[in-house]
Amino acid sequence: MTVDWLAYAPLILRAAGITLWLSWLGMLVGAVGGTGIALLRLSRWRILRLLALVYTEFWRSVPILIVMFFCYFGVPLVLGIDISPFTAATVALALHASSTMSEVVRAGIQSVGRGQWEAAQAAGLTPIQTMRYVIAPQAIRVVLPPSVGVFITTLKESSLASIIGYIELTKTGLLIRDSTDGGFIPLLALAVIYFLINYAISLGGGALERRFHIGRRLDTVGAMA
Amino acid sequence: MGYTFTLRTIYPYLGTLWQAAGLTLALSLLAIVISIVLGAGIAILRRSHSRLLRFIGAAYVEVMRNTPLLVILYIVYFAGPSIGIRLSSFNAALIGLSLNSAGYMAEILRAGLIAVAPGQFEAAHAQGLTALQTFRYVVFPQVFRTIYAPLGNQVIAVILASSLASAIAVDEVASWMETVGSTSFRFFETFVVAAIVYLVLCQAVNLGRLGIGRMLFRQGAVAR
Amino acid sequence: MNPVLQLDSIVKRFGSRTILDTVSMTVNAGEIVCFVGPSGTGKSTLLRCVNGLEQIQGGQISFEGTAVLPRSIGAVRKRVGMIFQHFNLYPHLTALQNVMLAPMVVHKEAKKTVEERARALFEKVRLSHRINAYPSQLSGGEQQRVAIARALCAQPHLLMFDEPTSALDPETVGDVLGVMRDLAKEGRTMLVVTHEIRFAADVGTRMVFMDQGKIVEDGDPRAMIAAPKTERARQFLSSIHG
Repeated sequence: MTVDWLAYAPLILRAAGITLWLSWLGMLVGAVGGTGIALLRLSRWRILRLLALVYTEFWRSVPILIVMFFCYFGVPLVLGIDISPFTAATVALALHASSTMSEVVRAGIQSVGRGQWEAAQAAGLTPIQTMRYVIAPQAIRVVLPPSVGVFITTLKESSLASIIGYIELTKTGLLIRDSTDGGFIPLLALAVIYFLINYAISLGGGALERRFHIGRRLDTVGAMA
Repeated sequence: MGYTFTLRTIYPYLGTLWQAAGLTLALSLLAIVISIVLGAGIAILRRSHSRLLRFIGAAYVEVMRNTPLLVILYIVYFAGPSIGIRLSSFNAALIGLSLNSAGYMAEILRAGLIAVAPGQFEAAHAQGLTALQTFRYVVFPQVFRTIYAPLGNQVIAVILASSLASAIAVDEVASWMETVGSTSFRFFETFVVAAIVYLVLCQAVNLGRLGIGRMLFRQGAVAR
Repeated sequence: MNPVLQLDSIVKRFGSRTILDTVSMTVNAGEIVCFVGPSGTGKSTLLRCVNGLEQIQGGQISFEGTAVLPRSIGAVRKRVGMIFQHFNLYPHLTALQNVMLAPMVVHKEAKKTVEERARALFEKVRLSHRINAYPSQLSGGEQQRVAIARALCAQPHLLMFDEPTSALDPETVGDVLGVMRDLAKEGRTMLVVTHEIRFAADVGTRMVFMDQGKIVEDGDPRAMIAAPKTERARQFLSSIHG
């Protein structure tokens, strides 16, 4: 049986768009949440620091797949609400990204010397103004390059949404495989498409890194996905 | 709210949990060992004199770092029958996990090798150490120190990633959670139990790493 | 005369660049030869050819009567000690372990014998109090003295110093040169690549001026410093003297 693979191109392209959208959303929510956690980690109060530490350590020690299972199957049972696969996947991706991003943001904030805080405070800036006008612009240089790595990890993790039935890129590939001869050409195509997307992002990240002359792609803990 | 958290409901399933945890552990440990060996090979390729071999090594690493593990697992699992090889779920998961982890291991080992200053090889050669002695007494202890922490992270990453084996029907812990959850409708409890298994495994690696590290590397023994 | 080392028109090239251009010389037992000259003229390369860290493309090197060839290099290295500009101590080993490694591993000597000798050497280089320190805890001068003890512990017949004080803070240079003076008094055979002209004049028995891969002048250090025979040597010596 010969299959006209090109006929599937529009479907695959749309699916790639869905994957990008899902990952981007997860990453965005994760980055915002991660920043909050990072601020807690640097808080004056020990209890907040401890809570933030437990939060990051927890999500770093639990596979994202079982988090996704829980969000999709468990939360509706517990709370009695309906949750779509998309919401479940986004929440799980965001939770995982937030723990990694909190470490990235913390490193970024800490890279700004103590003297900057003191100078800003001496000039009469409030803590929020200090953060907004002095610390953040400097920290962003350190935060951006590893964030690219986190995004790539999130994008790879988004493939797990296929397991809870969300039709993104991987699921689309599997469905095409089922509807054709069951060979592994669709799977190879999936690998190539993911690779191209991620490699392009990683090249962009490299350019970013060179522009900022600092930082490193962060993919140590839980980066395999 | 109508949901009460009762661990008692999943007592009957704890027997299979031990089997599942055993599979998770076996899969992870084997994948770690295999990927260290594979990764070492790739790290050596990346230091080869031949441009082609260096390219192959670099390409391998990039492909593995930029392709989702799930897709790699599907390829290994489904490609076998297409070309006439039948792989069991466990073997397919082991191969996929090892191939993927090897890409990361290669980078860790490469960084370790780079961290050994060229002067170290010269000093050892000048003292008359053979290639093997140089590796055993001078290079390996220094590489080990550099890769120790990232290696621990990678071990944890492999344990977590082994959960994806459930997608190709390996009955490990994530799969246990899904099956038991959907038969008993106690997803909250199964999630908590599965999370605890992973937490215990990962934190055991973390604590073991700290303890062994303290024993092995006395203060001040940091590479300059 | 008892020749320890003979170089017979050796040639060393890196790609198309010639680093050593048919260099010949004989070093006798007990000689302290100081190599001087502008940087990049092959002084360090010459030392590195002697113990096979670099391969030569022409000529022959013989050490104590045997040709230095890839297959004999192990035997040569056992009898030649080398001290590097950047010390190259093993960072994962203590000072004592650094000194004891090669005698135990290469020379297969008993630990007890080696440790006794090592402790005596630490006394000699005046570092007995730092015996259990790691290299990262030592100053540059201390590291270099450990490196000297490390070379001595293998009981070498020839000591080679490759700019031993160039990477040191000025205040620690004296300690290292002091140890080297002591060694010279023992009648050891030494090759020293250095920019310390005063040391060469006081301690050296012979000075070799090299320029562009060739030996330009070879003679008594004090005589050469006082009255260089060649214009190039005169220019160089006055430039670093002043």
